[in-house]
Order: sequence, then C-alpha cells, then structure tokens
Amino acid sequence: MEQLLAALFQLFEPTHLAFLFAGTLLGLIVGILPGMGGTSGLALVLPFVFTMEPSHALAMMIGVLAPTTTSDTFPAVLMGVPGTAGSQATVMDGFPLSKKGMAARALSAAFSASLLGGIFGAFILSISIYYAIPIIMAFGFGEQFLLVVLALLMVGALTGDNLFKGIASCFLGLIIGSIGTAPITGDPRYTFNTLYLLEGVPLVVVGLGLFAIPEIVGLLDSKGSIAKSLNTKKGWFTGLKDVVKNWFLVLRCSTLGCLVGALPGLGGTVVDWIAYSHLKQTTKDTSQFGKGDIRGVIAPESANNAKEGGALIPTLIFGIPGSGNKVLLLGGFVLIGIEPGLDMVTTNLDLTYLMIWSLAIANILGAGICMGFSSQISKFTLVPYYILAPVMVCLIFFATFNINRDWYDFIGLLSFGIIGITFKNFGWSRPALLIGFFLSSKVELLSYQTQAVYGLSFLSRPVSIILIILCLATIVLLTKQKFDSNYRSDLIKGKLTQIYYIVILLCLPLSMIWFTSSLDYRANLFPISLSVIALSLLVFILIIKIADLKNLSFLNNTFMRFARSNIFEISGNFNNQLFYYFSFIGFLLMNFIFGFPIAAALFINIFILFHNRKAYVSSICISAVLMVILWSLSSLLTLQFPNGLIGLLIDLPWWLGGQLN
Amino acid sequence: MSLFSFVSIGNADVNFAGKTVTWVVPFKEGGGTSRFARFIQPFLKKYLPGNPDVQIMHIPGGGAIKGSNYFEKNAKADGTFIFGCSTSVIVNVATGNPLVKYNLSEYRPVVLLPQNTHWFTRSDLAEPHDLSKIKERKLVLYALKTPASADLFHIWIYEKLGIKGAKPIPGLSSSGGYQAFLRGEIHLSSHGAANYVKKVKPEIEKGKVVDLMTLGIIGADGSVSRNPLAPNAPTFPEMYEKVNGKKLEGDDLEAYYAIGAAWSQASKAMMLPAGASDEIVKAYRDAAIKMTNDPEFKAKAVKALGPFPLIIGEEAGEIIKKAAVFSDTTKKQLNAALKKHKFTYRVQ
Repeated sequence: MEQLLAALFQLFEPTHLAFLFAGTLLGLIVGILPGMGGTSGLALVLPFVFTMEPSHALAMMIGVLAPTTTSDTFPAVLMGVPGTAGSQATVMDGFPLSKKGMAARALSAAFSASLLGGIFGAFILSISIYYAIPIIMAFGFGEQFLLVVLALLMVGALTGDNLFKGIASCFLGLIIGSIGTAPITGDPRYTFNTLYLLEGVPLVVVGLGLFAIPEIVGLLDSKGSIAKSLNTKKGWFTGLKDVVKNWFLVLRCSTLGCLVGALPGLGGTVVDWIAYSHLKQTTKDTSQFGKGDIRGVIAPESANNAKEGGALIPTLIFGIPGSGNKVLLLGGFVLIGIEPGLDMVTTNLDLTYLMIWSLAIANILGAGICMGFSSQISKFTLVPYYILAPVMVCLIFFATFNINRDWYDFIGLLSFGIIGITFKNFGWSRPALLIGFFLSSKVELLSYQTQAVYGLSFLSRPVSIILIILCLATIVLLTKQKFDSNYRSDLIKGKLTQIYYIVILLCLPLSMIWFTSSLDYRANLFPISLSVIALSLLVFILIIKIADLKNLSFLNNTFMRFARSNIFEISGNFNNQLFYYFSFIGFLLMNFIFGFPIAAALFINIFILFHNRKAYVSSICISAVLMVILWSLSSLLTLQFPNGLIGLLIDLPWWLGGQLN
Repeated sequence: MSLFSFVSIGNADVNFAGKTVTWVVPFKEGGGTSRFARFIQPFLKKYLPGNPDVQIMHIPGGGAIKGSNYFEKNAKADGTFIFGCSTSVIVNVATGNPLVKYNLSEYRPVVLLPQNTHWFTRSDLAEPHDLSKIKERKLVLYALKTPASADLFHIWIYEKLGIKGAKPIPGLSSSGGYQAFLRGEIHLSSHGAANYVKKVKPEIEKGKVVDLMTLGIIGADGSVSRNPLAPNAPTFPEMYEKVNGKKLEGDDLEAYYAIGAAWSQASKAMMLPAGASDEIVKAYRDAAIKMTNDPEFKAKAVKALGPFPLIIGEEAGEIIKKAAVFSDTTKKQLNAALKKHKFTYRVQ
C-alpha cells in the first residue's frame, strides 16, 4: 500500500507528468488517424525512450497506449471509419447517431464510458498484482509453453479474416522470428553471413513496417481528407447523462473487457464486438441497434478501454503480449532493462504501480482533452492525408534510423512494409505475424526447457489441462460468432494475384528448410518443424483458393464452406498503394544521396505539391516546422541524422546530416 | 578504499577544455555497462582537466561486437574517445569470436569495476556450504543463457567440482533462471552481487535457500579472499580443495585466474584506445582517483556500483591481458567441458 502511494507521488513529479502528458498527446493523435493505433505510436517512440530513465520511459509508453482507444472514437463517430481496430463496433451506432446530428452526444457518451472503463481496468490490474505471485509460481516451463502456444493459436484464429490464413500468418511470423543466432547452439540460421540478420530484425522495424506503412499507403489510396463535415456543438450533457443512466452496462462491459483483455493472445481486436453482442443479448428492445442507439456506443467504448488494464496482466507477469501494441510495450521493457515476470510484482513493484497510475491518469487526461478540446481535435480530422502522410513517413524514417543507426534497418522497414501492405490487402493477419515473430524465440526456448525438465508429462499437470480446455472453448465460441458473415467470393477481383502471392509465401519455409538442413539438429529442429507446418497450411489454403476460383464442387460441405470463408480478400486499390510504396523507396534513395535533412524537406514538398500544386505555402511551412522539431529532438537526445553520399564528399554541419562532433 | 593510496599529481599538458569526450558503450541503454557509464559520467566531467562534456554513445548489437568494432575503427587516441567494456566484450575476444575486429589487450584501461558470483541452492537439497548431497543427485539442472558467453564458465566450474548430474537448461537469463529455481524446476542457481543482495538474501533469511560458495575475490598478488557479502561461504578454490582433496593449482589454477579476471575483476571497465599516450592515461587515472575521493561518489557508489572497490592503475592492464588472452590449456579445458555437454560451440 505504501508503495502504491509512493508511486503516485513519483508520478506527480513534473518530469514524470510531462512525459506522461507528451505520451498521451501522441496517443490521442495516432488514435485519431484511422488505422494508426497504439502499435504504430509505440513503434515511433521506442527508438527514443531508451535514452530515458526507466520510470520516465514507462510513463511515456503507457501514455501512448492508454488514450488511443479513446480518441479513435472521433473518426468512428464522425466518419464511420474506426480509428483503431478496437472501435469497429462503435461505428455501428456511433455513425448513425452522427448522421442524425447527435455527434456530440455520441462523442461525450463514448469519452466518459472510455474514461470509466479505463479506470476500472487499472483498478482490476492493481488488485490482480496482489495475487500474481502464486500464479507465477504455479506456471512452470510446461505451463508457460502451453500458454504461449495457445495464445498464438488464439491470435491466429481470431485476428485473421480466415481461420487458416490467420494461423498460417502466425507460423510465418514464428519462422521469421527464428532467423538469427540459434539460441541453443549459437549457429547462425538464415543469416547469409551478415551481422545484421545474426541479431534478427529489430522489433521496432517490424512493427513500423507491418503497421504504420500499410496504413499510410491505404489512406493515401482512399484519397481526400479524413472527415467531410463536422457538427459537434450540442448534446454534450445528454451524452454524460446517457452514461450515468447506463452505469450498470458500463460496469458489465468493463468487466467483460478486462476479462477478454487478460486472456493472453486475445487482447484487443475482438473485445468491442464481444461487448456489442453482449449488449444485444441482454437488451429486450433491439430495434434501434445499428440505427443510432447510444448504448451501442457506450458498450464497446467502456470495454475497449477496460481491456488495457486486463491485457497488462499477462504482459507484465508472463511477458506474453495480448496484442500488437503489447508486443511493442514488451520491446520497450527490454530496451529499458525490465524483465517481465516475478520481478514485476516483487523487486520492481514500484515500476508496476507507476504503470498502473500512469494508465489511470492517462485515461483521465485523454478523455479530458477529448471532451475539452473536441472541436479543435475534430478539425484535425479535416487535414488532407497527402499532407499528413509525408510528415509521418519522415518521422518513421527518423525513428527507424535511430534504433541502431544502421542503413540496413531501412531495407528491413521497407521489406516489412511490403509484407504489411500485401497482408492487409489480401486478408492475412498482421497482428498474428507480429506476435509470432516476437514470441518465436520464447517458444523455441520453452520447448527445450520443458523437454529438459518434464518431458511430455507437463501435459498432465492440472494447470495445463485447464489451459487447454479454456483455449479450445474460446476458439470454438468466438470463431462461431466471427465467421457467420455473408462472405461473397464472387465480388473479389484479381484472384490470380493472390494465388501467385501464396507461391511467393511458400518460398520462405522452403528456403528456411534448405538453408538450415545442414545445421546441428538442435539448431534446425525448430525452424524446420515450423516450416513444415507452415508449408502444409499454405498448400491447404492454395488448394482451397484454386477450388474457389474454379468453383469446384467439393467445397459444398460445412467444413469446406467454413474454410472457404474470406479465403480471398481485397481492400482498396492494390496498384495505387504500390505506387505510394514506391515513392517511399524514392525517399530512401534521396536519403542515400542527400542525407536525411535535405531529403526530408525535398520529399515533403514534392509529395504535397504532386497532390496539390497550390499548396506550396503549407508544404514549405510544414517541412520547416518538422525540421525544427527534429533538430531540437536530435540535439536534446544526441541523435544523428542519416548521412548521405553528399555528406561523405563535403563536410556538412550536423543539422544537414553531417557527423556529430 | 585503501586501494587508492598513492598521491596524484596534476598534469598541465593534457587539457580537454571545450572538447567533447565520446564514451562508446557497445550495449543498450539501461544495461549494466550503460548504468556504470552513466554513474561515472558526471564525475569524469568534473575531474578531467578542462572539464570536457562527456557524452555516452550506445551502439548495441551483435553481442557487443558491433559497438566494439566501431570503437576500434573510429576512436581517436587523443583522449576524446573512451570505451565501456564488460565481461561479454572480453569473452568475445578470449573465446576467439571470428567477428571480433578490436584489439582489446592493447587498450589502456582506466578503471575496472569488479563483480562477484554467488552460487546457492534450495535448503531441501543441501546443507549450507556443502556440495556432497548435490553431487549424489542424478540430475542437477542449472540455467545457461548461451555457451558463447560468460555462462560457459559455469560448465567448467561444475565440471571441476565433480557434479556429475549437472545439466544446463539453455536460454535462461539469470533472472528467468532464478524464477525457475524458486519454482523448484532447477536445482543450482547463481547471481551477481547486486541481485544476490536484492533477491537471494531475503530467501536465505526465510530459510528456503542456502549459500554454497562464491567465486572469491582475487587480489593483485593472486591471493583469493572471501566475498564480504557472504563471509561464511567458501570461495571456489576452497570448495575445489574440499571436493578434490588437493589444492587448486597448475592448469586448473591458471584457468581459474583467467575466468576470474574476465568474469569478476574486469566485470565492467572504462578504457582508452590503444595508442593513447601515457600522459592521457595518467590524466584519466588521476581523474578517477579524485572521483573515488569525492564525497558524493562515496555516498552513492556502494548502492550504484556494488561493494567492491574500483581497480585503478597499472594493475588493471594486467588483469585485462589475463582476461582477454586465454592460454591454450585453458581453452582446451573449456572445450573439453563444452564437448562433454554436447555443445557444438568451441572456444577458438
């Protein structure tokens, strides 16, 4: 209890509060941008947090995470586009309310429900910390192994549009994660004798590539500004009253959000739908749902904020991330030298409490800012995306370079960028890929450790049996709910491209088997087993795809109908997105020639003027402001700009990309 | 602090006024070497002639090889570049990693920060300071992160103490290994001084865990004394004598000294590049000695750096040489232990 209060006082020191506030602001902004969420936001700050003191870094990271599911309501309600995956269900009733001119009511109800849910989540988290020690002690290698594997399966099964594509995504992530030094023998795997791959690709590069880049090109593809018109003047008080009236619903959905969030591997992407369907099942008069019932906003919003507290439980005590953003949070832990597990509830308890308080306060701050400045913030959604996009690309490049000051990271970023774009367009699961990538080494080590201590007997330990039953039940329950959609395969064009895409994907497991087969069995058993599983999954998907294309008759039974649902998927104009992707490669080449500062200024101006010739005033101003921000950042944190070929020939000052010193 | 009894003389020739000293740390921010550097950083600025700015540059990657190679390639010998060394940097050299491009044994050490390792087990498995019950067990599991690191020394230690059932569980960090130890999944565990005080001492007081031994503190003359944090626990040489019935000597003693230098005495170090002049080395050593007499340093050092006094002076150079260059017999001993446990990794 003493420590709990001490952590609160620590958080109220001006520097802590400043970092928390800065994080919260960033979180609000990435939450508003459709598609960008906590994962991209955290990936952007990670390269910089590790120069900070751990407690500052934690306050900032939690600050980024907490309010994304609050501010994502703006686009959900105003434009009918979810700001993050967690507010998909909010669109159902939020957007109709907005069309009826009740945007303000919907927003205020959503923010206050978010606030209450967030605080409830922090409260549950602080209680569960007290009971964590016996749980950690009951989870030996075997139980942890099961927990990780089951978490992976759940993510795969539930985040993909198609069950098999989701699970295959998971295995592809596991295979990519096994690139690098084999943990048992130290053999290099799939590294082609490069030092870069020996370490494995940095997590931040993977996160930014998989999540930020596809969203940017996706939004550029959708063209125009984020919102068309705004009407957020009246009705704030009504929204507050709605929440007070529905207090019991808020409590139920928060509990639900917390529980689902705490299931390892599940946190996040489905919780809003679960809350929404819970609401439908427990309400007598369902006639208004989907047409603008305020409860349809309150339920998912309270649940998706409460889940953050719940999802931190497995993250902190087992190091198992429940969603993409928790992967990045764990990556941040590594950077500042915190290891999840027993330490978090014993020797590092002060840091855990600091996170809990940060979570609560960031929720209050986030909801407060959203309500207090709603008309200003919602104007942010009017900014055309061709102005935001180049700025974000520059920020991403700057962040990427500062992970290791390594040019190879750009290649990694763009490679994972194209993987992300294709995954998003063709309906594969990016969260599953990221979590698989992150947990790969853990799965490999735990399998050896379990084998050394228990052999196969770990399966008959009571906790293991409970885990297996729990996992199977969740998957059966949730897939049923998820896959009853009206999928129409005949509406999708360009199916052949997606079939060729699988053939490309097949190259990864095949080449992994080829390159590792000559190694010691302790170094190649893991990647080869993964590759074999991935191969069979991919071939199965390929067969179904071809059968679907040719409309073969063996698809007409229950299982095959299930396997076939969402087997093809397309979002947006793929060629358009490729065009924008190639402009990023152009930016990389400019960096290579001119160095980062000149290249960034050029890129922003060219990009904006390409879309709007008349916007030269704003393009010059924006590039100037960005450069000033980056210069102050880099002198504050002794960061360096990527140095181009010109910088090698002429001695440039540091602010144009020359060497420090 | 009796180690720094010799008097320093101010040096007028070396002056860093207006310059920036870059301290290359080949690890991530937040790690032990980074914390060591950050603790020393303000004192260095205060006591180096001309009070230069000291900036820490982290270049993590490749098991510390990337940053170390960077230092070798880019460091100027004029005193504006210093290097944050640690056991893993030394072990990379000592074990002959082919990616190493830095010539560590030529570097000029300024300060060494020693560490010490404690071994312990559960109280139901052995009496304090007694290995006999452990030696009878068929299976004695212990944590081993990777054989290509200082953890390799564990294999040698258990081998020399005749623990036949010893079997490493790979891929466990010391913190993860300690958790598994507390859960009862592994039998032997070890920790450095800081974590020993923070995490193991409370369990010993509860009666759940008992001390077995420590690595021992190696003096300048080669004598080994007990660790003040666990004064009743025997050192490795004492345990060796008790188990084997003969004194630690010959090849085994040589290997022990090499391991002790890399693992314990030079656990963290601040170094100048090869070719730094004697004047510059002296200016740095003087600053280090003044630092250890600073009241603020005295007040905070034990908490931040641990209980063992810093090693400053010529002695430091000898320790680094011993740690970085393993003799052929020592390598052979380590490789024999590796082979016995079916590791493919070999010391080169």
